[in-house]
Amino acid sequence: MNSTTFLLIVHGLLAVALLGAITHQTLSVWAPARKPAGSFVGRFRGVPGAGYTNAIIVLYVLTAILGGIIYPAYRLEVRLVVEQLALWPYHGAFELKEHFAVIGLAMLPAYWYYWRQPLAAEHTRTRGVITGMLAFIVWWNFLVGHFLNNIRGFGS
Amino acid sequence: MTIPRSFPVFAIVFAVVYAVTYVICVEKNYPLFSYHPAINQFGLGVQEPRDGPVMFWYGWIATSAIVASIAGLIACILPQSLARRLWSGWSWLVPACVMVVFCYLLSSFFLR
Repeated sequence: MNSTTFLLIVHGLLAVALLGAITHQTLSVWAPARKPAGSFVGRFRGVPGAGYTNAIIVLYVLTAILGGIIYPAYRLEVRLVVEQLALWPYHGAFELKEHFAVIGLAMLPAYWYYWRQPLAAEHTRTRGVITGMLAFIVWWNFLVGHFLNNIRGFGS
Repeated sequence: MTIPRSFPVFAIVFAVVYAVTYVICVEKNYPLFSYHPAINQFGLGVQEPRDGPVMFWYGWIATSAIVASIAGLIACILPQSLARRLWSGWSWLVPACVMVVFCYLLSSFFLR
């Protein structure tokens, strides 16, 4: 296993943790549980969302940095294959992934501010929309990364 | 943790200016530097490919970060009366619009 594969696995593991945290927080802000939940879904969305903020920021930044480190390997080895096979939707999806990731990074200072305790009631919508956008970006980037990784399969 | 009173202004302006600058950098190709992954070399500004492809993504990020940081810091010295009127929703509306612009710019990949 070379260093790029190792970093790709760490990148993927961080992304999984980020995916879980941002999904918890998004559901807690868009569909909060009004009473003590008994079901799995109810407990999933019943978490105190603010507690996830710092972890999400750290995970997002670390995942992005690792993605940036392994990007040259993608550019040299994977993108050529994608182009040769004329897998244009995959190519376009990855281009969106890189741009969305950067836009998400730019929103992190605002995201952090609007999730500060005590939560300001006048910023409820801003907090919810920024969190929803970050969740969309994280889900998109996770799925696109996964699909691209599967084009050639692990270790091929 | 105490933060400066101007931080929300910085955060909103940073998100807005970063998103707008980034899409301009991508569309017009204004990287601060270029990276040649095959030979692991950096060069200032836009460079021609050398022994392999050239990457501009890191350079676009750097250009946008510098512009957005400067804009955010300038916005911090605005009078409080003006700063208080800044709508917090700009911090997501403009980035959301930029994401839609990217979908449009890259739509040819999905329509071939």
